[in-house]
Amino acid sequence: MSDLKDDQPDNRAIETGNTEKRPPVSYAGIVYGDIIYWGTLAGAFVVLLGSVITFTTTNNYLDPSYMLSSLLDGKSVAEIWQGAEGIGAAPDGHWYLTVLGTGNGLTMLGIAMGVFSVTPAIFASAYFLFTDGDKLFATVAAVAGLITIYAMF
Amino acid sequence: MPLLIKRIPELSLLIFGTVAVYISIGLLSELNDTNILTADGAWALVVGSFLMSFVIAIVAVIGGVGGGVLFTPVMLGFTSMDSLLVRSTGLVVAMFSGLVSSGPFMRKGLADIRIVFYCAIPIIIGAMMGAQVAISMADSMGEAGDALVRLLLGFILVFIAVMFIMGGSKNEYPKRKFIDKISEKMNLTSAYYEESLGKNIYYQAVRVLPGGLLFLVVGFTGGFFGLGGGWAVVPVLNLVMTVPLKVSAASSGVLLAMGNAAAIWPYIMKGALIASFAAPWMLGQVVGGIIGAHVLSKINAGFVRNILIVLLLMTSVKLISRGIEGYFGIDVPIL
Repeated sequence: MSDLKDDQPDNRAIETGNTEKRPPVSYAGIVYGDIIYWGTLAGAFVVLLGSVITFTTTNNYLDPSYMLSSLLDGKSVAEIWQGAEGIGAAPDGHWYLTVLGTGNGLTMLGIAMGVFSVTPAIFASAYFLFTDGDKLFATVAAVAGLITIYAMF
Repeated sequence: MPLLIKRIPELSLLIFGTVAVYISIGLLSELNDTNILTADGAWALVVGSFLMSFVIAIVAVIGGVGGGVLFTPVMLGFTSMDSLLVRSTGLVVAMFSGLVSSGPFMRKGLADIRIVFYCAIPIIIGAMMGAQVAISMADSMGEAGDALVRLLLGFILVFIAVMFIMGGSKNEYPKRKFIDKISEKMNLTSAYYEESLGKNIYYQAVRVLPGGLLFLVVGFTGGFFGLGGGWAVVPVLNLVMTVPLKVSAASSGVLLAMGNAAAIWPYIMKGALIASFAAPWMLGQVVGGIIGAHVLSKINAGFVRNILIVLLLMTSVKLISRGIEGYFGIDVPIL
């Protein structure tokens, strides 16, 4: 910088490609993003497996032909589950965990995996914020993580 | 695109897997014909859902909105599907492209993890409340509730379309005029590297308390209507909290994935999310979200936004007319 005259614009950054040093990227952020990215992708592959079983076998908790027809027919959630053979009522809780051997159960597990990946990502990120000395935001992150766990029950 | 698939092997595997699965389903389907849908029609519905979701994910990334803003109103306006099912699937559409883009945005240093965590608390709480109210309303009001949802959503869409038409008054590098005491204590300062200028942009988020309250409302709207909320999160971060536009947009995707993740659990646990219907929409968002983020720079965003505005206005008219018909019993001869 010292060899520039006062009225001379500093175009060296653009001309030479030498630019200001980039600020460090938060490791807590990288950990958060990577856990979610891979958790979502893993969930997507489980959804693919569940979809194959749902539509190419009869191993289902909720018959897909009946389900798709009911959806297009404008039936409500309650009506769809009440009219489903062998079920008779809408499920409660993490019902898919009890029917993981079926296509619907596996498909829902895949979706749930993507959704759930947020929770470990938040806590992992909170840990690295804490080790970085950012105790306030580590606590904020942990609170956010606890609320997402509460949402699951 | 071939280079992109080569650079991201997991994307190649996912695309290959999806194509293989849908071909297998077409060839080996155990679906039955029903009064409403033939087996071939059901297969076409599933594959069509995936393709539509893929297009929505790319258009949403380019247009700067969440997929939920496109999916939920169109499905509620132009199909007779139950509104609770549409809204729960809308949350899936809204969140999954945000989930896969979290990684790249964090690695580029564009999304600010501290701002995300601060804003996450009100948005998660709001989203959970919105989801619970949606489910309770569906249980207690039935079809009248459905009509009311359509009516309210129609008005919100008009508001969003007007925001887009007005240009959103976005500020790339907002200047803060003052720092309130709470913002000063929280010290939400950071920097990111602006490639176009070749320098670092330093910023500090202000008005954290009003921002937090607004996020409570945004979260509620997203959880209740299944919209996501990107159309509101970016203006709150950018215009209220003076966060640079790029950081606002990147943080918005990460933040909404977090908020919607909390909102979706009540729907899952009450059986209001039908996995086999939501699955192709989820896959389309994951594939489209990864590709959309990479092709963003090559597409004319202005053209896409104009199409979005027209679509939003058309859908809002349809939703309002259906809402009036359903709730007040008045026939509206539109569309």
